[in-house]
Amino acid sequence: MKMKYRSKKGAERASLVAIHAILIIISVIWLIPFLLMIILSFRGEAVGTSADYIFPKQWSFDNYIKLFTETKFLRWYGNTLLVSVAVTIFQTIIILATSYALSRLRFKMRKPLMNVMLVLGMFPGFLSMTAVYFVLKEINLTQNLLGLILVYSASSAMQYYICKGFFDTISKSLDEAARIDGASRHTVFIKIILPLAKPIIIYTVLSAFIAPWGEYMFSSFIMLGDPDQFTVAVGMKSWLDNSSLMSDGYFAVFCAAAVVVSIPITALFIWLQRYYVEGITGGSVKG
Amino acid sequence: MADVTLTHIYKVYPNGTKAVKDFNMQIQDKEFIVFVGPSGCGKSTTLRMIAGLEDISAGELKIGDLIVNDMEPKDRDIAMVFQNYALYPHMTVYENIAFGLRLRKLPKDEIHRKVVEAANILGITEYLNKKPKEMSGGQRQRVALGRAIVREPKVMLLDEPLSNLDAKLRTQMRAEIGKLHSKLQTTFIYVTHDQVEAMTMGTRIVVMKDGLVQQIDTPKNLYNYPGNKFVAGFIGTPQMNFFEGTLLKKGDDVQIKFEYTDAEITVPYSLLYKAKPSYLDGNSVVYIGLRPEDISLASDDVKNNKAVVKVVVSHKEDLGSETLVYGDINPNGDGYVESSTRIIIKDNSGRELKAGDVVEAALNINRVHLFDKKTEESVLPRVPEYNYLDCEISKGKIKFLGAEIRLPASVNTEDLKGELLLPTDAVTLNGELQAEVVSCEEINGVYLLSLTLGGKRLYAVLSEPVDAKTVCVGIDFKKITVTADGENKILPLPEVNAFPCKFIKKKICERVEVNGKAKKKKSVQFGLTVAGAFFGVADETAQKIFTALGIKNAYAANLRLECGIDKIAVAESGIAAEAVQTLDYGTEKYLKCKVGDSFIYVKTEAEYNGNICLLPDFEHVGIVEIEREIKII
Repeated sequence: MKMKYRSKKGAERASLVAIHAILIIISVIWLIPFLLMIILSFRGEAVGTSADYIFPKQWSFDNYIKLFTETKFLRWYGNTLLVSVAVTIFQTIIILATSYALSRLRFKMRKPLMNVMLVLGMFPGFLSMTAVYFVLKEINLTQNLLGLILVYSASSAMQYYICKGFFDTISKSLDEAARIDGASRHTVFIKIILPLAKPIIIYTVLSAFIAPWGEYMFSSFIMLGDPDQFTVAVGMKSWLDNSSLMSDGYFAVFCAAAVVVSIPITALFIWLQRYYVEGITGGSVKG
Repeated sequence: MADVTLTHIYKVYPNGTKAVKDFNMQIQDKEFIVFVGPSGCGKSTTLRMIAGLEDISAGELKIGDLIVNDMEPKDRDIAMVFQNYALYPHMTVYENIAFGLRLRKLPKDEIHRKVVEAANILGITEYLNKKPKEMSGGQRQRVALGRAIVREPKVMLLDEPLSNLDAKLRTQMRAEIGKLHSKLQTTFIYVTHDQVEAMTMGTRIVVMKDGLVQQIDTPKNLYNYPGNKFVAGFIGTPQMNFFEGTLLKKGDDVQIKFEYTDAEITVPYSLLYKAKPSYLDGNSVVYIGLRPEDISLASDDVKNNKAVVKVVVSHKEDLGSETLVYGDINPNGDGYVESSTRIIIKDNSGRELKAGDVVEAALNINRVHLFDKKTEESVLPRVPEYNYLDCEISKGKIKFLGAEIRLPASVNTEDLKGELLLPTDAVTLNGELQAEVVSCEEINGVYLLSLTLGGKRLYAVLSEPVDAKTVCVGIDFKKITVTADGENKILPLPEVNAFPCKFIKKKICERVEVNGKAKKKKSVQFGLTVAGAFFGVADETAQKIFTALGIKNAYAANLRLECGIDKIAVAESGIAAEAVQTLDYGTEKYLKCKVGDSFIYVKTEAEYNGNICLLPDFEHVGIVEIEREIKII
């Protein structure tokens, strides 16, 4: 009996060791590029088109200074931030409202509408790129940040699915109780549903912010030819495309830019993650 | 603090399922009404329609004097308590209770005063700053009650509020809700599937099944006078015993023979005065219902009672103060399975019994209930619909119960001997037959007058009470039926005329002069085509038709226009008809007309012949969708 017990514990320990070993290896593989990027961004000496050694001989902030003084990076960064914040606001509102409507209201063609939206959402957005470009051109919104915001926000409603799923878990009798208490649908949404939907709002905000922050295809197409309107993704790709620039030591500047780009997302996540846990619906209705 | 009136309320789902069918009820101010029934019977749906959380498919709902069919829940001035509490989890108890008041923009100090007061009443003052999740089920339900009472609503709606609580807490909360009702003096409507809750709390109970109201009455009346087998079985624990048997009238007694066993008992005919004579022929099978408490095993009762059956005991449940004895009146029956010979007896005699014992049980025949086997309706309704009498017609006079009345010309027939089916509401007090009053009792708003005429019983239903010892009764001949040799010789006039009709939309193009210029003005007129004639209807009526039938189906549906025979008149224009005959009932005259293939009856003063036009009084018509039998108006 005792033997058996010990052997079970031993087996458990062995499997834990194995699992952790695998996880550590995976995370090292996953982290190396990031670490490399950060280290290279602080390299004082010039970097060729390839990183021949890892640790710099001389640590310095030169790359960052160069980034903000000699390039249009700051401008691009501002563009991206503006677009991302605007899109986040629009998209969050649209998604939450759509999801609430689809979760709570019963109207004709609701199911077909949901299905159509779901299927349309599965097509890659760039399929419509040329068409979108012509439309934007007609209304003079190419090479314009507003056009970009419009394009990113336009299809927001199609991402209702996760959010609606969350709303569905909030008991409908809460809505009903509030409506009897004197609330309109709007008040129910603002005062009852939204406070209970914090985790999903955070999720929506994060995903709405991240998408335009790193999007390349649409922005490169719409902003084609006007470097002042570039977003960071488009701008940085333009450095990569310019081989003379790269051989001129821009590799390290690129890495510095990458570090700067990753800061807002990291900050946003750290700030919001405390809300990002489970819901707070406990005690509302008997489950 | 308001009446609630439900008139022909229906809930029909898009797939055609009828969750609530033709719900009619007048709920008085300050009443405690309980809707009770098995799950899926439509009780919660009805409550939610009153709350405004479900649309009403057809019918009219009034709270106070207002029709609230299309009103938002928040404007109906109601409050509701949900089965699962539905507390706002992100708010404290205080905020939960204050939420409704804040939305109504009451001053802060008033809100505070009200919340504290409600919390005091419910004993939750110390929890005001807690969140719902920190509280137990009973406390949460108190908060939900508090949220409802601070608003001082006209009507309190409670949807199975105690179902999630444990048995002890439930009993306690039951008493507290009762106390709350007497304190608040508000109309309460309470939904439950628990008949004990219904019986203990309600001033009146609505028993529902499959979307249909089975019976509406006080708890006591439901228990003592169940209108059908379902109500009889649903109210009371343990359930009423149902046996099958036949009734045979023998002189002044009626012999009740139980099926599947040779048990039989005799009851005096006086108990069965209200029964239709055809039940007493010894052939038609009825359900015989007896409550477990109306059966006794005590030896005194057995000795002094003529109605005694032998019971084989199968098992028993000792509840301490009393014992439930299960047995079978069929010597071969097993007493476990619910069958038409199984018997449950509430025994207080303290007799020691064991399985297999054969005991004699005395049945309290004064409390026997009889139900039709097919319809399951009571054979002994509290308010009988008809008097079943033998009659003889000769020389234009009808003889029944030893009396004689001249028949009016229109219902005269050849001489015959037959049966007279005399509706109890066709017995009037302005005739010439003298009858003795036995009793006059009020039953659900009408007065049932028991009379003796020629030594036999005659019932009359009146709207006013009668105080006299003797009355002079007459007969409303347009309601009677006389049959002889299995053939109807005299038929009653139908009370309502039915016309097939369709709902249509007419586009009207008018020329109007605006500022001196002639302009075309287009408008839409909704109306009904009734037997070829067009009648415009009010927008309100059109709206009701659209709500009940949907915009697409409204024009396609086959409808039936119903109007009372005194709510239609001969007019200059209207439905084309052919006057066939004038029926003279002495004091009143009716015109028999032919419209299409059917006959229509019209109350009239003058006589008509040939082609005439009929105009229904559209203030008093009913419109029914034929396919689903939904009364729209």
